[in-house]
Amino acid sequence: MLIRGEHILSVSTGSNRIVGDDGGVTGSAKGSDPVVSAVNLRHSYDGRKFALDGVSFTVRRGEVFGLLGRNGAGKSTLIKAMTTLIQPTSGTLRVLGMDPAHEGQRIRNRIGVVQQAESFDFTTVQGNLDVYGMLWGVPKAERRRRREQLLTRFDLGDVRKRRAFDISGGQKRRVQVAREFMHDMEVLFLDEPTVGLDVIMRRTLLDSIRDEVRRGLTVVFTTHNLEEADYLCDRVAVMDEGRFIVLDSVENLKRLYGGKKTIDLTVAGEGPSSFFSALTERLGPRASVSTHGGSAVILTEDPKDALSKIVELTQAMGVQLEWLTVRKNTLEDVFLRSVGRGGETRAVA
Amino acid sequence: MPLPNLLRLIYRNIVVNTDPGSLVILIGLPGMYLVFFGFGFQSVTSSSGSGTSYLAFLAPGILAFQVVMAGTVAGSILWSDRRWGMLSQLLVGPFTRLQYLLGIMLTSMLFGLGGAVVMLGVAYALLGTGPAHLLAFGVIFASITVGSIFFGALMLLIAALVKSNTAYNSIQILLIFVVNFASTVFYPLSNGLPVVLRVLFEVNPLTYVADSVRGAYSGALTATDVYQMLFLAAETVVVLVLATRAYMRSNVAYE
Repeated sequence: MLIRGEHILSVSTGSNRIVGDDGGVTGSAKGSDPVVSAVNLRHSYDGRKFALDGVSFTVRRGEVFGLLGRNGAGKSTLIKAMTTLIQPTSGTLRVLGMDPAHEGQRIRNRIGVVQQAESFDFTTVQGNLDVYGMLWGVPKAERRRRREQLLTRFDLGDVRKRRAFDISGGQKRRVQVAREFMHDMEVLFLDEPTVGLDVIMRRTLLDSIRDEVRRGLTVVFTTHNLEEADYLCDRVAVMDEGRFIVLDSVENLKRLYGGKKTIDLTVAGEGPSSFFSALTERLGPRASVSTHGGSAVILTEDPKDALSKIVELTQAMGVQLEWLTVRKNTLEDVFLRSVGRGGETRAVA
Repeated sequence: MPLPNLLRLIYRNIVVNTDPGSLVILIGLPGMYLVFFGFGFQSVTSSSGSGTSYLAFLAPGILAFQVVMAGTVAGSILWSDRRWGMLSQLLVGPFTRLQYLLGIMLTSMLFGLGGAVVMLGVAYALLGTGPAHLLAFGVIFASITVGSIFFGALMLLIAALVKSNTAYNSIQILLIFVVNFASTVFYPLSNGLPVVLRVLFEVNPLTYVADSVRGAYSGALTATDVYQMLFLAAETVVVLVLATRAYMRSNVAYE
């Protein structure tokens, strides 16, 4: 019988968390003043289809706000609107209390943006950092200090003298993110910043962002990676077809979408159907069992009770368990259910 | 104290776009024209018994030619920034679109003036003589400035309107060829030219720059040269406005 230690541990202690997962930046002080506020924001590129279709939300100071959604859901369009690159077709948008349509430059002076697409000056890695710092008016000595710090933090020392276009995809992404930290800002917009990064660099990047958040930075970021949203975000919005279909704190969402836990099990040998029928009956209406061949996925509100019943039944029926895990509900479950896979779509209250 | 936004953008354009390859094209190509065409055709005019030094005629023309090269710098910067993602990155930075545009324009003007200084040195080395009066230098640099802005704005207008880099490059090559060879840079406007070519010569802004630079260089500036430059200044304003409008409405992303 295989049992994943970390998940059994989480069941036995009654905790929802695995080691190292603190579920977001809970230590930072979140201000009440809105850094970004949007009311019924709509935007159409062609006058027919709306890339943003009535989006309303607020991002508070010191918060990490995640935007999730499939490709084409409207995340990047929303980032472009907030960073003044496009003007929404209708609705109200305020960034740092200012209207992007009329005070774009004043807003841009106080924000940082890491765009999804590659963007480099045709020079070396350290040249890119230097020139960018100069563009932001960072004094030379301070520029040099920050550059060296960032090259070390993002492990770019070995490629510092290579042209930014000649380095690997992951290194390029690191340069783009590091470059943004060359200047001070109040809000950082990150459009899929971890694409192409390996696990270690992804964690380094996320930790760097968390450090900055602790110092008061507000972060709005889009991602496809639900684990990192879970790791970093205070609140997330799930977008689909230009709308927010879910908007809440990560913990609330996980509770809302799953007071239940998931048990995955696989049994050995022939004729498991009689075992699964008996198990379904034994677990009762508080659990749902779906089976496929020798495997079953059980959703239950009481995993301890379900586990003991499973063990009892396997012993009584002489069935051998090959695999048994209990896992917490992840943001992925939330995402899949909210965009209409694995559950019905829920409108934002 | 940090530099003003515009100066930062100009500095960035110079640092990022000044690689050896660009410099060779910007300064080397006009220099090669001067040497190869100058000495090549000099031998033809000498053997035909003409008393005119073709090299002396060509040198001010090549000075004027710098404005076209400067114009290509402007279009190239815009396209490079669009292609490599820096246009949208700069526009989410502390700059306005207009500042970005002016940054490019002034950078190309500086390239034009810098190239003209180098060409003045080369011409002096080859001819052993240069403009006689300080005022002549003023006229030359004023003409180069206006011409650089005109061609910079023209290239920006094209860069803003054209949807692909390949198309832009093709248009640029064609434009450089037509503008150069249908002007008084390489040969004087003659009554023997076919009418179509003659008209092309007369409406070509590079002709205005070449004539005024040549007039100042040789100390024979005429009223026509002055009127031509005033006309060019007016044309420059029009092209500048058109380029600004096209650029303001253009998509910042590379397609």
